[in-house]
Amino acid sequence: MSQSTLTPPESATPTSGGGTSVDLRGLAGRAARQGGLIVVIIALVAGFGIARPFFLDPTNLMNVLLQAAVVGILALGQTYVLLTGGIDLSIGSTVAVTAVSAGLFAQQVPAPLAILLAIGVGALCGLANGLLITVTGITPFIVTLGTMSIYAGLALIIAGGQAVYGIPVAFENALAGGVAGIPIPVFLFVVLTVVSALVLKYTIFGEYLIAIGGNSEVARLAGIRVGQHTATAYVVAGAAAGLCGAILTARLGAADPTLGADLLLTAIAATVMGGTKLAGGQGSMAGAAFGAIIIATLTAGLTSLNVQAFYQQVAVGAAIILALLVDQVARSRKA
Amino acid sequence: MSEAVSQAVSEPAEEPARGSTGSGTHRVPALEVRDLSKSFPGVKALEGVGFAAYAGEVHTLLGENGAGKSTLLKTVFGVQRPDSGEILVDGKPVSFTEPSDAMAVGIAMVHQELSLVSEVTAIQNLVLGRERRRLGVIDWREARRRATAALERLRFDAPIDVPVSRLSVAQQQLVELARAISTDARIIIMDEPTASLTSAESERLFEVIEDLRSAGTAVIYVSHRLKEVLDLSDRVTALRDGCLVGTKRRSEIASEDDLVQMMVGRELAALGVSGSGAEPGEEGLRVEGVSVPGVVDDVSFAVRRGEVVGLAGMVGAGRTELARAVIGADRRSSGEVYVQGERVRIKRPGDAIAAGIALLTEDRKHQGLALDMTTASNVTLMDPPGRGGLLSRRRQKAVATEALKPLNTKMQVDKPVRTLSGGNQQKVVLARWLRTESNVFIFDEPTRGIDVGAKGEIHAIMRGLADAGKAVLMISSDLPEVLAMSDRVLVMRRGRVVAELDRDEATEESVVRHAAAE
Repeated sequence: MSQSTLTPPESATPTSGGGTSVDLRGLAGRAARQGGLIVVIIALVAGFGIARPFFLDPTNLMNVLLQAAVVGILALGQTYVLLTGGIDLSIGSTVAVTAVSAGLFAQQVPAPLAILLAIGVGALCGLANGLLITVTGITPFIVTLGTMSIYAGLALIIAGGQAVYGIPVAFENALAGGVAGIPIPVFLFVVLTVVSALVLKYTIFGEYLIAIGGNSEVARLAGIRVGQHTATAYVVAGAAAGLCGAILTARLGAADPTLGADLLLTAIAATVMGGTKLAGGQGSMAGAAFGAIIIATLTAGLTSLNVQAFYQQVAVGAAIILALLVDQVARSRKA
Repeated sequence: MSEAVSQAVSEPAEEPARGSTGSGTHRVPALEVRDLSKSFPGVKALEGVGFAAYAGEVHTLLGENGAGKSTLLKTVFGVQRPDSGEILVDGKPVSFTEPSDAMAVGIAMVHQELSLVSEVTAIQNLVLGRERRRLGVIDWREARRRATAALERLRFDAPIDVPVSRLSVAQQQLVELARAISTDARIIIMDEPTASLTSAESERLFEVIEDLRSAGTAVIYVSHRLKEVLDLSDRVTALRDGCLVGTKRRSEIASEDDLVQMMVGRELAALGVSGSGAEPGEEGLRVEGVSVPGVVDDVSFAVRRGEVVGLAGMVGAGRTELARAVIGADRRSSGEVYVQGERVRIKRPGDAIAAGIALLTEDRKHQGLALDMTTASNVTLMDPPGRGGLLSRRRQKAVATEALKPLNTKMQVDKPVRTLSGGNQQKVVLARWLRTESNVFIFDEPTRGIDVGAKGEIHAIMRGLADAGKAVLMISSDLPEVLAMSDRVLVMRRGRVVAELDRDEATEESVVRHAAAE
C-alpha cells in the first residue's frame, strides 16, 4: 500500500521521532506520521514473528487484516465525523441494528440487495443523528449518546431479544468469502481507505468538512452550508457502520444484537492513533486505517503469545496513550 | 537608512528622564532583558535584543508586525523560553517556565488576543488563579470586592455577573486590563490594550496608566497608535525584523514621523489617504429598515459606488450587529437589502456572497480564518477551484498565489495560516474576499491591531476598491481613520443611525458628539 500521496497535507506534521529516517523517507515522504505508523506495524509484526514464527504465516497475517477491516471501516466513518469537530458515539449500536437488519433482509431478498439495505439502514441512523445535531443544536456527544442507547434497544427489539440465525449461505459468501485469497472485507477496507483519503484531499466535500471542523463560523460566513455538510458526515459514518454490520453477520453466520460498545471504542482509538484531532479540523484516513491495523496486530499477537484477554486490554490502552505521547513529543520538538 | 536612528541610540540601560523617584544615579531597572534570542523553525524571531524598564516608567516597544514584539513579550512573561539571553527582575536573573513564574515575581500582562475564560463572569475572570480562600472555599465576597474596585478604576459600566462572552470585545478588554491592574504587579505589560477601545475608554486607560506610573509601576506598552505612544511614553524601544533598533527618550522624539522612522527605517506617507474627490456613482448598497431585536433599530442607509462610507460609533452601538444582519449571519426581524438598485433576498451568508456583498469580519482568528488549514484553502474557502465536486489542489494553489500577489506579500500558500504573522493573516482574509469580485465591501475594523505600514496598504486597497466602482462601508473605531478615509460618515448610537455627515461636516468633535450624545 503506498499511501503517501493520499495523505492530506493537514495531517502531514512531519515527525522526526518514532522511526528510522530511511524508512520514513522511503515510505511516506511528507506524510511522515503515516510512515511512523507503518514502522510501528512492521516492528510489531516482526516482534511477534520472532516470538512465534507461525505469526508470519500469510494466512495468519491475512486473518489479522480481516480483524482490522471491520474496526477500520468503522474508524474511517468516524473520521468524517471527527473532522467536523463532532463525534458519533452511536456507530457501535448502529452496527448492532444493521447486523440484525442484514440478517433479516438476507432471509427475504438476494444477498446484494440485503447488503445495500443494511447500509441504507445505517445511513438512516446516521441521518437521524445528523439532523438532530444540526437542527436542534444539541452537542453531538449528547445526541449520539442518546441514539447509542436508542439504537442498541432497537437492535434487541427487532431481533426479538436474541441472535438471528438462518443466514443464507449466499449472503455469507457475498461478504465473508474471498477473491484471489483476499477476504472481501479486507478488499473493501483497502478500497474505502483509498477512496476516503482521496475524498478528503481532492473533493470539495472533504475540504468543507475540514473547514467546518477548523472554524465553523468562518465556514458559515464563507457561505458554506455547515448543517448540510455536517449531517452528511454522520450519514457517511452510519453507512460505514451499516457495511460493518452486514460483514459481521456474514462472518458470524448469525446476527448478534448485542454488538457494539467494544467496536465503538476501538474505532475511536484507531482514529485518534492515526492523528485525527478530537477537536476537529485535522485528520487522516490512512492514519485511521493504520491505527486499526496496529490494534488488530497487537491483539492477535498477544493472543498468539497466550496473553490473557484482560492483559490485552491493558496493552491496547497503553498503546493508544503511547502513540499520542510520541506524537506530542515529536510535535513539541518541532515547534 | 537607519543611520540617524542608530546614532541616536542611547545606552539601553540609561535612566529615564521622567518619573525618576529613585535617589542614586544607578537605579536598578525593574525589568531588564539582555541579549535575548529566539528562533522558530525557519525564522529568527529575536536576535540579541535588550532593553530595560524602570519603576515609574512607561516604556513603549515599537515595531511593525513581525518585528518580534510579541515574541519578546511572550518570553518576558514566561509563555515561551528564549534560546539564549537573560531576563533580570530587580537586577536578579530569573528563568520562567510558565506565566505563573512571571506572575510570582510581580509581572502581569494584558494580552492582545483576549485571554479570558468566556463562559464565566468578569469577577471569576478577575480572580482566576488568585482566588483567596476562607475555610478552604473561595471567598467570593472578597473576590467581588477586589473585582469591583479594579473595574471601578476603569469606570467599567457593564454587568459583572454575566459570562464575559456576552460582553462586547471592548468590555472584555477592560476586564482583561482590570485583571492586570488588580494583581498589584510591579511590572505590567500591555500588548495593544487600546486596539478595541473607543477613544473615551482609551482615555480612562491612560489615566490608569498615569496612576500606575506615579505609583512606581513599570509599564511596558505596545501600541500601533503613534499619538498614544507620544502621549504616554517615557522611553521608546524599537525593534525591526527581530533586531534591536534602539531606545530613545521621549525628549529625543519630535513627532510621529520620528517614531515611524525608528520602526520602519524609512519615511512613510502620513495617514493622508484622502477621499478620491471623484463623483460617486449610482447606488451600490441600500439597506432599508433593518432591525435586530435589542441591538439594531430600524436602520436605513445607502452607499454609492465609488464611495467609502465610514460607520462610526461607540463600541456596542450596534455597528457589527448591523453588518452581520445585512449579510444574513444573524437573523434580522425586519429590513430589506438592495444591491445596485435590485432587491436581494438574504437569509444566510451564502446569499449575501451570491448577491455580491463581502463582509470582512473584525475578529480574524475567530471569524476570519480556519487556522489549521493552509493559506490556499483559506483564500479559496467559498469556492474551491475544481469541477463536479472534485478539488484541484494545483489550481487552488495557483488561484491563492494569484489572489495574494496584489497584496504585496510573500508567503508559501501550502502552509497552515496559523504560522503566519497577524498582518499576513489579515492579508489572507483580504485576498479571499477581494477575489469574490463583490460589488459591495463591508470592512469591520479593518486595521485593528496592525502596524502603520500594513494599515496604509489596507487603506489604499479600500480606496482602490472604491475607485474601481465598488461600494465600500467601513466600520471603524479609529476616529482619525474614519475621518481620513470616508467620503461620508454615518454615526450609530444605541442601534440607530443618528447622523450622516458629509466630508466637510465630519470632524472629530462632530462625530464624537453624535456618537455619545444622549
